[in-house]
Amino acid sequence: MVATMQDVRVDDDGIRFSSHDDVVVDVTFDGRRVWSFWLQRDTAGRGGDREIAWPQPLRRFLDGATRLALVDHVADAELYAAEVALGGGTGRIAVQDRKGRPLGLDKSNRLSRLFESRDSDQVAPLMDAIDTVLHALDKAGIEGFVAYGTLLGAYRDGRLIGHDSDADLGYVSRHSHPVDVMLESFALQRTLVEMGFVVTRYSGIAVKVHVPEADGSIRGLDVFGGFMRDGMLYLMGEVGAPFEESWIFPRGTVELEGRTFAAPAHPDRLLAAMYGEGWRVPDPAYEFTTPDSTRLRLNGWFRGIRVGQGRGMGTRELTPDEPSGFVQWVHGRCDASVGTVVDVGCGYGTDVVWLGRQGRSAWGMDAHYKSYVRMRRLAEAEDLPVRFRWVNLTEQRSVLDAAADLSRLPGPRVLTARHVLDTLDRAGRDNVLRVARVLARGGGAFFCQVQVTPDRNPESHGQVSPLDLDDLLQVIAAHGGDAAHVETLNETDAAGAANIARLMVTWK
Amino acid sequence: MPAPPKFLTDRLAARRSLRSRVSALEEAVQENRQLNLRIAELTDAMMELVVPLSERDESKVQAVVDRYRESLGGPR
Repeated sequence: MVATMQDVRVDDDGIRFSSHDDVVVDVTFDGRRVWSFWLQRDTAGRGGDREIAWPQPLRRFLDGATRLALVDHVADAELYAAEVALGGGTGRIAVQDRKGRPLGLDKSNRLSRLFESRDSDQVAPLMDAIDTVLHALDKAGIEGFVAYGTLLGAYRDGRLIGHDSDADLGYVSRHSHPVDVMLESFALQRTLVEMGFVVTRYSGIAVKVHVPEADGSIRGLDVFGGFMRDGMLYLMGEVGAPFEESWIFPRGTVELEGRTFAAPAHPDRLLAAMYGEGWRVPDPAYEFTTPDSTRLRLNGWFRGIRVGQGRGMGTRELTPDEPSGFVQWVHGRCDASVGTVVDVGCGYGTDVVWLGRQGRSAWGMDAHYKSYVRMRRLAEAEDLPVRFRWVNLTEQRSVLDAAADLSRLPGPRVLTARHVLDTLDRAGRDNVLRVARVLARGGGAFFCQVQVTPDRNPESHGQVSPLDLDDLLQVIAAHGGDAAHVETLNETDAAGAANIARLMVTWK
Repeated sequence: MPAPPKFLTDRLAARRSLRSRVSALEEAVQENRQLNLRIAELTDAMMELVVPLSERDESKVQAVVDRYRESLGGPR
């Protein structure tokens, strides 16, 4: 039975309507899907009178006219259609990227290039990438298969799901203890890197493999690790379900866009574990309803190595031109005997370059390599004594390596961390203080700036959580540090209490 | 209003105490789970680095450290 909608009104805020049905509806502009939502689940209102706001990522496009239709996704039936005008624009609304390629919202409401708008010659490179990574996994002794939406599309229709935007791979380890499964994943990462792939780690058992394509662009494929334990399958990032090993092994195959790929022995079993028994019915606005017990297990065992890492940094517009007040303060307190300054969590690297221009030998390190590429280029062009390196302050292996690497630099060494301790979690703060202790010994110091009240600097883009200054001083003392200097200041527009603390910490 | 009977206040107090014990236990369980990642990271570093270090071959050590470093990061 097809759902019905009445009294549909569309304006700059969103869509209002009356309906007692709850089906998933596609919003199309001039015939092209841009978004999907459930009539009841995703809307607010009383009884049958419902409303839903335009998702934030779509709003910047809503300036012009379009034929807007609301289509029952499963029944493929138009429930509403009208020519509408939004914003003040006079042209047609075009939801597209800078190159004019159509965009739409995927199930997580991220604006992406979806498969439904790609031609078959654009799909072929993705199929090649899946093939490449599955072969690489096989060579590394890992029995990979297509997973999540990629498996769903393949098993259900032999095609990619139109409203999907990426391809996912998975594997189930033959190990059964979380530690062994992670050790296997670390070894896998080494093997893939040796094969020439760039690999980014997302958790103890999930990585993204970056595959170069013929046109020079890079495609990232997620590889989710999993394992069996006490009759349960746990698979990053959403699955925890009673499972039989024989439903995975020996692996079978599925057809996808005319190609054959490895699949679990019983894809239907894995799909039910991933999406529930309703997996056969398409849902472009699907939300995972992972039970707390599974989420807590996956979080506890494997997650926590990406805390505080900002997204979308590295754009030219956001890179500050001026050095921070903090780095100038540090520079003023350091005499010429300081051998090296290391900016921990350097972000864009503006402060590091400024230190180099003052004649100081300086290193910047950050988990977001894209954020500092521009400043690294600048430093190279100006021939400054400045270097940058990648570090993940929430990953112990990376912190150990950074400490060992930088301990060879000339001392005394000064470390700086501007709004880093207040961006990380406790484990990350411990890691920073461990690095500081190793590197600042022998006459060096650790300088940091943290936010200590909820009042923010209006120019700040960071995701800081204010720290209690007394708690921080206790943690520093627990790491053997001596807070030799503490001062507070106000970095907000508002007059009144200080919101920032600056500390100088030394070790004997 | 008369005070509730003692058996009732005792039962309520026991329930409150049970709730707080369960939530403390949940926190402790989660903390313990988080040790898995730490153990895995330390074991990995030890296995990959300590063995070549003990062989005292500087060029081999440097190659091993470089390889390990290379494998940790994303694009750079």
